[in-house]
Amino acid sequence: MSTALAASLPAARVPRAGASPWLFWGRALVLPYLLVFVVFVLYPVGYGLWLARHPASYVKLFDDPIFFRTAINTMVFLVVAINLKMAIALLLSGFFVTSRWWIKILSLLFILPWAVPSIPTILSVRFMLNPEWGVINASLFRWFGIEGPNWLNDPTLALSFSMLMHIWKSLPFWTLILVAGRLAIPGEQYEAASVDGASNWQKFRFITWPAMKTLYLTSTILSMIWTLGDFNSVYLLTGGGPADLTHVLATLGIRYLRLDQVDLAMASIVVALPLVLPLVYFMMKRLSK
Amino acid sequence: MKPAGASQRSLPPKGDEAGPGAARRSAMSRVTWRAVSTEAKLLLIGIPLFLWTIIPVYHLFLFAISPRDSATSGRLWPKHPTLDNFAVVFGQKHFYLDHFWLQLGNSVLIAVAVAAITLFVATTAAFAISRLKVPGGRTVMNLALFTYFIPAAFLAVPMYKTMGNYGLLNNQWALILAMVTIASPYCIWVLKQASDKLPWELDEAARIDGATPLQLFRLVYLPLMLPSLVAVGTYALLLAWNEYLFAFLLLSNDKSLTLSVALGSFLSADDSPWELLMATGFIYALPPAAIYYAFKRYMVGGLTAGAVKS
Amino acid sequence: MASLSFRNVEKRFGNVEVIHGIGFDIADGEFTVLVGPSGCGKSTLLRMLAGLEEISGGTIAIDGTVVNDIESKDRDIAMVFQSYALYPHMTVAENMGFSLRLRKADPKHTAERVDHAAKILNLGPYLQRYPRELSGGQRQRVAMGRAIVRDPKVFLFDEPLSNLDAKLRVAMRAEIKALHQRLKTTTVYVTHDQVEAMTMADRIVVMQDGRIEQIGTPLELYDRPANLFVAQFIGSPSMNVVHGAVRREGDVAWVEAEGGVRWPLPAGSAVASGETVAYGIRPGDLGVGASARPVEAEVIVVEPTGAETELLVQAGPAQIVVVVHGRTNVRPGEVVDLAVDTGAVHLFDPSSGATLRA
Repeated sequence: MSTALAASLPAARVPRAGASPWLFWGRALVLPYLLVFVVFVLYPVGYGLWLARHPASYVKLFDDPIFFRTAINTMVFLVVAINLKMAIALLLSGFFVTSRWWIKILSLLFILPWAVPSIPTILSVRFMLNPEWGVINASLFRWFGIEGPNWLNDPTLALSFSMLMHIWKSLPFWTLILVAGRLAIPGEQYEAASVDGASNWQKFRFITWPAMKTLYLTSTILSMIWTLGDFNSVYLLTGGGPADLTHVLATLGIRYLRLDQVDLAMASIVVALPLVLPLVYFMMKRLSK
Repeated sequence: MKPAGASQRSLPPKGDEAGPGAARRSAMSRVTWRAVSTEAKLLLIGIPLFLWTIIPVYHLFLFAISPRDSATSGRLWPKHPTLDNFAVVFGQKHFYLDHFWLQLGNSVLIAVAVAAITLFVATTAAFAISRLKVPGGRTVMNLALFTYFIPAAFLAVPMYKTMGNYGLLNNQWALILAMVTIASPYCIWVLKQASDKLPWELDEAARIDGATPLQLFRLVYLPLMLPSLVAVGTYALLLAWNEYLFAFLLLSNDKSLTLSVALGSFLSADDSPWELLMATGFIYALPPAAIYYAFKRYMVGGLTAGAVKS
Repeated sequence: MASLSFRNVEKRFGNVEVIHGIGFDIADGEFTVLVGPSGCGKSTLLRMLAGLEEISGGTIAIDGTVVNDIESKDRDIAMVFQSYALYPHMTVAENMGFSLRLRKADPKHTAERVDHAAKILNLGPYLQRYPRELSGGQRQRVAMGRAIVRDPKVFLFDEPLSNLDAKLRVAMRAEIKALHQRLKTTTVYVTHDQVEAMTMADRIVVMQDGRIEQIGTPLELYDRPANLFVAQFIGSPSMNVVHGAVRREGDVAWVEAEGGVRWPLPAGSAVASGETVAYGIRPGDLGVGASARPVEAEVIVVEPTGAETELLVQAGPAQIVVVVHGRTNVRPGEVVDLAVDTGAVHLFDPSSGATLRA
């Protein structure tokens, strides 16, 4: 298209909207997804919010000491697990772009935690942590004569292991993303910096980090949203225990549900929305450009 | 991920020597202090990383091939490795495993159904939004994105109640449709991005050649989108196969359970035959790993492009 | 084969009108070229004819039938795109036969038509290849083959040679022209290259800013441009234009340009003395050497191209291009006398650009 005209065009070339079969099929083909959305997203969300409409639910919720504990656990999980995970991912992204034959093989293996379903692996770790016959305590006793603690019976240890589990599972994905970010940086910049006499740290500070900053931030935000929804890492490892002390938001809702306290379940989710929605909004602005 | 091999220009890792130079030097066996310290630093990261990655998986495997008594001995390799556990699982010879094959079949069926339906829903939507430029397409895309970002666990409780209202509880369709709902948004996003890259002239040429919208979809669009369709279909397949929470909530009858829920239910008993559990888990973990490695090329491009725009 | 007519055709994108009331006719079998600078609206006009753009106002008719509300596929036209728009996942044969396949034609019939088109375009050995395996010129031919198989009433070409290198372009120009002579299908061809227009067209439509500047045969446009724009657009190198006032002394008239340079006007010139005009003279109508009323100029650059020599000279403050046949001995820095073929002088109104006198 000629440039002057193209400048006045509102969007890319549009097929004649007036031509009816094109409009008809456009609408018809988008219908399946819209149907799915209305029936399985809109209605459930609406219904859920409706279930959470009584202020009394929230009073009950805040009165419940488990909720308070859960909120703290969730914040700890978010702040510690995510930052640790992203920092490690950043480090590893640099590691994985180094060319060694064994690093290449390692990178193939590294994907495993993410590719493999979490149930078997989490259960595997759970058994490793079993105080009587789990591998960890058995080895500790066999080699050092120490009697290892009851790992999952201590709330702090239990929560820590849940976080480690979460990191184990999701680290490959984020590392991959950051590797993609690294590979997008032109190699010539590093070469020019070498000629200018920059140290490795300076190269990171003045080339790598500025280029990766935005990606790192976006990844962290997205990771926060998804970590809030990580049910498996806590439930399958600790079940929320001991004594409901390691629940996070994702598992708490289900707990209330199973106790038939649906209003509390929904209320606990609604309470998280002021945290989640701004993050979601942020991500949507970034992506729907 | 093709990090090390793919980069022609290998970037210096944090805190380390320039890549290509070091490789050449070590190939020439010039042992300099720098070369040694570089390798040492890399190994310092690599070895713990390897152990960290492999231990839970190896432990799983270890248990699966160990007889009951010796699994917990803390050995690195069982004294008497056995495939008996697998035999028991396949033979459904334990009451926990009564319905193993049925449950495995359920997992397969549900995963395939989810993949197929998601492909249908996502492909038609992406085509309508990207190529037919249906009015309101942008809004639909945003709705999809929104659903993608909301953590699935938040949707779980409302979805459970809703399925109850629809009368679908304990019906496998509940799980299938729920997973389609969760998988579609991302698939639409990826497909739309890929569609946007197709040149407009192809659609115009086809229209002048006389194509109706459906002919354009069938004869021009689908063949050209094949790689993306594979990536997206695989994603939906694996998402459904790996799902625990929704399956756990929406299905309760032993006969309709998927393998993931069945595995989880082992936990409730005190005397669970954990070596059988690990064997079952291993079987359950194989298909996704195999599929992932088989389709690695498609997955990586699609998934990283979609998740975060750098 | 069919005639085309455009009546008051307008195009608006939002509030911006980009084509303003265009009207003209194309006879059955004519090869018409729409030419103009980027942004003049030629492609938009073509796309409206093709049915790829809505017609905001006016009518377009093919063979007497108004096609404004008729779908592209029912207009019986075929189009060759600038980027060829070949379906990458289909072989050459499948690409060419696609339109017939869409109409569920008998496969044997399709094969016959494809073979026929392939023979005309020398594509026989490539029928089972994929577009990615072909060169630019071959892909271009496949695109044309696809159009030929359609056997439409009108062929539309949208800058088809822009993506080819210079040599290939020259070869393809001849091929397209030969094809037209053979098939005699009405053809509308869009290009920004006036050389293509001049060599291929039966008639040329020169456009600028969504309006028609002039319609005519190539030589009509060359010899009798309607305005300054057409005069400078058609012909390469461009026509030289200087501004000045007409002066008379008895029978002799000239245009006095800046620096006191006197550009001769022919004897019978009727333009009033004192009027400011734009004086145009093509490089080929200037010579170096003795003449009745020479114009003094200093040679700046000498560019021999083999058969001709292009000279850039300075007359007063104006830079003038002169093209002479064969070789010349002049050197840069020399002062020479330019001989003007007064019969070939064009005068234009300096504000409106309209031709005053050919």
